[in-house]
Amino acid sequence: MSRLNGLIPAALARPFTAIGGVLFLIAAMLPWATFILNDGAYPEKSTLQFFDAPFELTGFRWHLLLFGLLALIVTFAPIPGKNRVLGALGWGGGLIGAVGAAFIAGKGGGIGAITAADGTIAMGSIVAIVAGALLKIGSAATGPGDIPEWPTSLFGWTGMKQRLEAWVYLLVAFAGVLWLVAQTLTAGGIGGAAFPYAGPVFIAFLGFAGGLLGALHGIGLTRWVSQLSEKHRPFSIVVLLLCAFALPFPFTGAGSQYWMQVAATIGVYAATAIGLNIVVGLSGLLDLGYVAFMGIGAFVAANLSGVAASALGWNLPFPLAALIAAVVAGILGAIVGSPTLRVRGDYLAIVTLAFGEIFSRAAQNDIGDLTGGASAMPGIPPVSMFGTAFNEPINLLGAELPSGVLYYFMIVLVVALVMAVFANLKNSRMGRAWIAIREDEDAARAMGIRTGKAKILAFLVGATLAGLAGAIFVHKLGTASYDSFKFLESVTLLAAVILGGMGTIPGAVLGASLLFVLPEKLREFSDYRLFVFGLALVLIMRFRPQGLVPDRIRRAEFAGETAEGKSIEAVEEQAVLEQEQSEREPGAPAGPKEGRS
Amino acid sequence: MSAARHSASENVLEAQGVTMIFGGLTALNNVSISLGEGRIVGLIGPNGAGKTTLFNCLTGLYTPTRGAVRLRGKQLPSDPAKVTSAGVARTFQNIRLFPNMTVLENVLVGRHIRMKQGPIASVFHGPGFRKGEAAAKQKSMELLEFVGLRGLEHEVARNLPYGDQRRLEIARALATEPEVLLLDEPTAGMNPQETEAARQLIFRIRDIGVSVVVIEHDTKFIFSLCDTVSVLVQGEVLVEGSPSTVRDDPRVIEAYLGKPREEVEAEVAEAAAAIEHHREDS
Repeated sequence: MSRLNGLIPAALARPFTAIGGVLFLIAAMLPWATFILNDGAYPEKSTLQFFDAPFELTGFRWHLLLFGLLALIVTFAPIPGKNRVLGALGWGGGLIGAVGAAFIAGKGGGIGAITAADGTIAMGSIVAIVAGALLKIGSAATGPGDIPEWPTSLFGWTGMKQRLEAWVYLLVAFAGVLWLVAQTLTAGGIGGAAFPYAGPVFIAFLGFAGGLLGALHGIGLTRWVSQLSEKHRPFSIVVLLLCAFALPFPFTGAGSQYWMQVAATIGVYAATAIGLNIVVGLSGLLDLGYVAFMGIGAFVAANLSGVAASALGWNLPFPLAALIAAVVAGILGAIVGSPTLRVRGDYLAIVTLAFGEIFSRAAQNDIGDLTGGASAMPGIPPVSMFGTAFNEPINLLGAELPSGVLYYFMIVLVVALVMAVFANLKNSRMGRAWIAIREDEDAARAMGIRTGKAKILAFLVGATLAGLAGAIFVHKLGTASYDSFKFLESVTLLAAVILGGMGTIPGAVLGASLLFVLPEKLREFSDYRLFVFGLALVLIMRFRPQGLVPDRIRRAEFAGETAEGKSIEAVEEQAVLEQEQSEREPGAPAGPKEGRS
Repeated sequence: MSAARHSASENVLEAQGVTMIFGGLTALNNVSISLGEGRIVGLIGPNGAGKTTLFNCLTGLYTPTRGAVRLRGKQLPSDPAKVTSAGVARTFQNIRLFPNMTVLENVLVGRHIRMKQGPIASVFHGPGFRKGEAAAKQKSMELLEFVGLRGLEHEVARNLPYGDQRRLEIARALATEPEVLLLDEPTAGMNPQETEAARQLIFRIRDIGVSVVVIEHDTKFIFSLCDTVSVLVQGEVLVEGSPSTVRDDPRVIEAYLGKPREEVEAEVAEAAAAIEHHREDS
C-alpha cells in the first residue's frame, strides 16, 4: 500500500521486519509455551481443532513458524525484491492470526479470552497480527522495489538443452500447483456438524497460500514461470491437463468422493464463469441474468434424457442432449441479447435482470410442463458412455478411484474446451471487436464494426457455453430444480468474474473456485455467507479493483512493457506526468485531456 | 483524374446542401464542400461553427436533416460502420483510442472490416484463419512503421505519449483502407515540432492516394497544408478557396478576430442612439 510508504524512516525498516519475523515465531509457539509454563490443562474452550495438538507443528502454527523463519532470512539475506516478499509474508501471517483471533473471540472463550490468562491461543493470534503489521510497515518503508527478472535458462543453456531445462522447471512448478490446489481443496476437511472448524482452517490456509504466492511473486518466480509456460505453451497445456487428471489419485489426498464432487461443481461453475466472461469481461455487457441460460440448458437436457416428470418423454444419449441444450440456450441468448442493440450500461443490466427473473419464475411455476415446478425434475439418469455409468467408482492405473470421478474428468475436459474457445475467440477478429466495443463503442463503430451483431454474438456464445455447463450440471446432480438458477447464482457468477479479474481465464477459474468452494467450507457461517461475500467484494474493489488475476498487467509483462518490474501504477503515473508535460508545452492550444462526452 | 469522367465523380467526397437542425438550432445550413482526388481540404472556423457536426454528418454519425453526402457519386449510408466500410475513415477531436488495448491491437481493430474470418473460424483458428491474422498483423505493422510507431506495438495505448496517441489514431483509421480520411483537429495540444511532423505525415498520407479533410484551429497549419480551405461560420460556408484567397478575405479576419475597432464603435453608438430614441418616444 502506497500510503504505508515512508511511514517510518528507512533505517527502521530492517528492525521492523526482523521484529515481525520474531513475533511470528513467538505467536506460533505461544500456546505451547503457556501450556508448559502454566503446567495446567490445555484450555479447552479456546482449543480449536487446528491448534489442539500443542506439541505438533501442524497447520496454523507450522505456517506461522515458516513465515517467521522466512521473514528473518529475507530480512538479513541479500534477496532481490525482498520488500515485496516481506510485505506478502506480513499479509499472509497477519490474516492467519486475524482468523484465529476472530474465531476464538466469536466461538471460543469470547472477547474476554483475548488475554494471556484464559485464551493463550488468542494471545498468539494477536501477536501474529501485530507481527504482520510490523512486517507490512517495515517492508513499505523503502518502497516496494522492483520484481527481479530471471533468465530463461539459469545455466545459460540454449537450444534443446534450454528446452529440457524449462520443461523440468515447468514440471516442478505445475506439481507445486497441483499440491497447492489439492491442499486448498481439502484444507480444513469436510465442514458441517462433525467438524465445525473447517471454515477458519480453510481461511487461515488461504492466508498461508496467499502469503506464499505473494512471496514467490515478489522474488519474480511466478512471473518467470508464467513466461516459461508462455514460451512452451503446448507442453504446459499438456502438463496442466495431466495435473488436473492426477488430482483424484490417492497421493494428492483429494481423491475422495466428496472432494471430487466439490471439484466437479467448481468446474461446472468455472466453465459458466468463463462463458460469462465473454459477455462481461470481453464485451463489457453487464448481464445480471446469466444463470438463466445455464438453467435453460439444464432443463432442456433434463427433458431430453427420459425423466419421468417430463411431458416430452424423449430419451436421447447425453452428448446429443447436451448439444441440443447448448444450442437452445444459445438461441435464447441471442434473442435476449437483441435488446442490447437499443440499451446500454445500466439499462441493459435491468433488461437481463428481468429476463433472469422471468426465467426463474416461469420455471418455478412449471410453465409449459417443462420444469417440474416446485417439485423439480428428479431422476435424471447419470451420464453413461462406453458402457460405464459416470457415477460408479472406477479402477484406473491400479488406483481405486471414487464414484463421481468420471464426472470430474469430463468436466475437466469441458473446462479445457471452454478455455480454448475463450482464448481463441479473444485473440481473433471477433474478440478484438468485442474488446473494442467495451473500450469505446462509438470508436468501434467508426472502425466499421457492426456493434449490434457483435453484441448479439457475444450473448450467443456466452449462453451456449452456459447451456452446456447446465446440461452437465443436472446430469451430475440427478435433479433439475429452478432453485439452482436464481438471481443469487447470477450475482455470484458475476462476482466470480469481477473478483478473479475481468477478461482472463485464470481469473474466472480462480473466482469461481473461491466463491463456490467458500460456501462449502463456511457451512457453520451460512447465515453470514452473503455478508462475507459482500465484504470480500468491497475489499477487493477497494484494494485490487483490477481483480486477483488482472488481464492487462499480465499481457504487458509478456510484452516486456513492465519488464523493469514497474508496477502498473508507476507506469500510469508516468503517463499522467508525460501528459501534463505535453499540456504545458508551448503552443498547445487545447489540453489533451479533454473529457469525453 | 481523367477529364473524361463526368463532373460528379471528379470529386471523391461531396457534401451537397447539408443542413442539420437540432430541435430549434440550425447547426449547419446548406453547407456544400467537395474533396478532389488526392487533395487535402481544410475546414476552419471559430468554436461552435459546426465543423465537427459536419464531420459527424460526413461519417454517418448524424443523418443530415436535408442534403446529401456522396462518395464517388454514391450516397453514403447513415451508419458509421457502413460509412467506414464504404471508405471514409476518421479520427476524433478528443482522442478515442481503445485505451486498454495494445498499439498493435488498436490497428488490428481497424483491419476488422478488411478481414474475413467469421465466428466459427475465430473459434477453431484453422490455417486460413492464421493466414488472415498474419496478413493483418503484417499490414498493421507496416502502418505503424508508416506513422512512426514501430517498436511500440506492444505498448498499451493509454500509456503512449500524447502525440503518439494522435498518430496511432491515424494509423488505426488508415487500417480501414479508406479513400477519404477525416482528421478532427489532428494537432490539438501539440508543440511546434510535433505539429510539423503531423504536417509531413498528412502529406505522406495524401501521397499514398488517400484524400484528406482536416479540421483545425491553427490557421497557419491549415494554410501551409491544404489545397483548398473552407471557412465555416455559424453553420454556413463563409468563404471557400485556395489558402491565399481565404487568408486575405476580410470576412474571414472578421469572423476570427472580430470587426475593426472603428466599425464596432460606430455600431455601438448607433445602437445607443436607437435606445435613446425609443425612450424619448415612450
